Amino acid sequence: MLSLTWIEELQAFLHPEQIKRNESFHPLGNDGAVAVYPRTEEEIAAVLRYADRHDKKVVIAGRGTKRGFGGQREQADILLSLEQYTGIVEHAAADMTVTVKAGTKFGDLQRALAPYRQKVALDPFWPEEATIGGVIAANDSGPKRLGYGSARDSVIGLRIVYPDGTIIRSGGKVVKNVAGYDMNKLFIGAMGTLGVLSEITLKLRPLPKYESVVLLSFPTGDVHDIRSFAVSFLDTMMEPVCFELLNPALSERLTGQPVYTLVIGFEDVENAVHYQEHWVERLRPKAVEMSILVGEEASAFWRTFYTAAPNGRLAMAENGVEAAVKIGVVNLDVLSILRESVLIADRCHVRIEAHGGLGHGLCQAYMHGGEEGVLTAIEELRQTAVRLGGYAIVKHLPLSLRQRVDVWGGKPAYFFLLEGIKRKIDPNKTVNDQRFIGGI
Amino acid sequence: MRKRPIATSDPHIQALARIVGEQAILYRKEDLMAYDCDGFTVHRHLPKAVVFPNSTEQVAAVVKYCHDHDLPFLARGAGTGLSGGAIPLNGEVVISLTRMKRLLHVDLENRRAVVEPGFVNLKLTNSVAHRGYYYAPDPSSQYCCTIGGNVAENAGGAHCLKYGVTTNHILGLEVVLPNGEVIEIGANGVPDPPGYDLLGLLTGSEGTLGIVTKITVRLLKNPEAKQTVLAYFDEVEDASQTVSDIISAGIVPAALEMMDQTAIEAVEAAAFPVGHPKDIAALLLIEVDGISAGIDEQIDDILTICRRHHVREVKVAQSEEERARWWANRKTGFGAMGAISPDYLVQDGVIPRSRLPEVLNEIANISRKYGLRIANIFHAGDGNLHPLVLFDASKPGETERALAAGSECLKACAAVGGSITGEHGVGIEKKEEMRFIFTDEEILAQTAIRDVFNPKNLLNAGKLFPTPGRCVETKTPSTVK
Repeated sequence: MLSLTWIEELQAFLHPEQIKRNESFHPLGNDGAVAVYPRTEEEIAAVLRYADRHDKKVVIAGRGTKRGFGGQREQADILLSLEQYTGIVEHAAADMTVTVKAGTKFGDLQRALAPYRQKVALDPFWPEEATIGGVIAANDSGPKRLGYGSARDSVIGLRIVYPDGTIIRSGGKVVKNVAGYDMNKLFIGAMGTLGVLSEITLKLRPLPKYESVVLLSFPTGDVHDIRSFAVSFLDTMMEPVCFELLNPALSERLTGQPVYTLVIGFEDVENAVHYQEHWVERLRPKAVEMSILVGEEASAFWRTFYTAAPNGRLAMAENGVEAAVKIGVVNLDVLSILRESVLIADRCHVRIEAHGGLGHGLCQAYMHGGEEGVLTAIEELRQTAVRLGGYAIVKHLPLSLRQRVDVWGGKPAYFFLLEGIKRKIDPNKTVNDQRFIGGI
Repeated sequence: MRKRPIATSDPHIQALARIVGEQAILYRKEDLMAYDCDGFTVHRHLPKAVVFPNSTEQVAAVVKYCHDHDLPFLARGAGTGLSGGAIPLNGEVVISLTRMKRLLHVDLENRRAVVEPGFVNLKLTNSVAHRGYYYAPDPSSQYCCTIGGNVAENAGGAHCLKYGVTTNHILGLEVVLPNGEVIEIGANGVPDPPGYDLLGLLTGSEGTLGIVTKITVRLLKNPEAKQTVLAYFDEVEDASQTVSDIISAGIVPAALEMMDQTAIEAVEAAAFPVGHPKDIAALLLIEVDGISAGIDEQIDDILTICRRHHVREVKVAQSEEERARWWANRKTGFGAMGAISPDYLVQDGVIPRSRLPEVLNEIANISRKYGLRIANIFHAGDGNLHPLVLFDASKPGETERALAAGSECLKACAAVGGSITGEHGVGIEKKEEMRFIFTDEEILAQTAIRDVFNPKNLLNAGKLFPTPGRCVETKTPSTVK
């Protein structure tokens, strides 16, 4: 521990109980020799300023659900955890905006807004454990992105602690704003490589007056049937908030039926929801089974859904490894990705549970199997995505395997711009070094 | 454009003419006059030349030439911008994108279209309307403004309350960088391309980071039903409270617009009068859309809220024709000021909508202080105010007074936690007002990003950011690396 005497210098601005030495190594990496738990923005700034001046590397974390997402390091010098930096700074209910500290759990935030019949219109995975800061930094989104958009559509303002400890605000507290560059966008999905998100201001939506989930099970397994139903339904004027296809493996877990299942969510006044359910009923092919979940049944379905993804806070899988891959393609090509997920699972002897939105083009594939099988499956899935003009990034994988696969799938032709932005904001590579695309 | 052989010894003009063709360049003073300003007419400056490229390759070649020869340059669409973003302050080579106006691709199954930057906003909706689709951002100038310009300014419109502004509808861009290099972001319009969100950064960068040459946009399906309500109030306060209550009732209107008495006087005197009573204090134009089975319930709620706040008269549009008349009256509102004032200046502040009554009061005070009438036409639902300062430029000192009054309106917006621009952009007009909401450090953080894209600062220099403050270390592009 002699080499770690610098840790005591942290006590100049943190209480001893906010500093914990780390004796063990986490198999997902992204750890720190010391973990610090700031409770104020000043403390966050002090830690970063110290690190930036003393050539220390900092890994930023919320509660660790995304610990397996990117990163080439077992351990940085400092793990900066925001789990004690929590709470709502301001909820302007009449303006439908909220400002919240980054370490606040997503579920806690939604519960605080619910009495006002308001919500943040995002549906990230593991809402009861993930922090709002992590959701924004990793640009996490779920199936309801179709209806409500993603983080870039909800975030209206940020306070960012730059790597040198400067506080920079981007955006503001109003829902419409074009003053200066839209700097918010830079930090959303930046994986913490440009600083620490301190406070996040979001625009809110009203809670729906009524909601339901329609499940359509396609017994034949022929994706052409699904495609023609999807094309005709999406061409109507119905307004589903999600239109998500589950592959048979995921459907088995969520509905008990190992067949392709389409999950169509409606949120509106009750009349309008039922009216749209009737449209589904009318358009569905005869052989397709339809069921409708409401109330607690619907909530239970979504709870299981959002916790189907691997979670960096949980114990590592036994008998093999877990992986999560996010794939982006043109909307209807989601069908090809899901069909391919079934074939690849067979070929590589891994289990792949996958879902994707036919109205927005993003898929998630959760894998479980032997190391080599999982690596091959990731590679094959990526090849399929690239062939379709899309991409695949790895959202969860043990560190040892992240060192063998390019999590981000290569660099875009304009990588020099990304590198240039990083260099301007974090010239010493103090925060989340190597966590992002091309080793940024 | 006119066909005349190039008659100048300026080697730059000759070189640019070789790139775009002799018939696609203007350089004579009398030809350049039309390009000395955009929709912001207070400042004027002649460009060095105007070129009309017809392809990405030509744009890239012009840009590369300018870059290599240290010639300042900027891009221009239809020139409808309201903050001076396309004014050639430094005698720029203006790259007009009006010849690049093709609709390249429509894919309704995947709800997207690819357009060239000079393609007119409304034409896109018109091109897909027969299949029941539309392009959502609808700035009031949509019949003539270009989508390239919309991207540069992150244009909004009356219906962005529910559907978002331009940035929420851009899936991919082809961009010519300030050194002439061409990049493609969001290839095929696939969402969340890995890396920092350059689509989001470029949209609304007011033509200072690159020149967009191809745009992939999201298309939406028309709503099944649409109802429009017009409500007249005797007190501005009542209209403001109605706005708040509609929002807090959990209704997300497609549009929620307000006009005050002065504005009503103007629109009724202009080309599209609809017979609004002239003695009311404010009117609200409210539109809800969505699933037909849910609309009546929302309209009932809105009518109840209006009545609770002492509405004098409230009516629901009985036909598409009536609805269209109400909207034409609203959308031509800025120009209508010409009917009651020789000149006007439009501002674009944003406030938290709960502060509407006090800020409107403050604007009335500013009006009295400067002895200038101020009309208000605005997007009440998202708190985006458009105070229109009426003045007469022929009277000495009145233009300066109007500018000062406009700036003070923005200060009032900033003071309640708002912003100095919601959709018109900063441009030249509001550069100094950036200081109302950002610190010098925050402005430097933004110019640092500009330096990554535009290190020589030849592209649209002198826009968007105030001149650096004295107390901060000032950086010039050449000293920053």
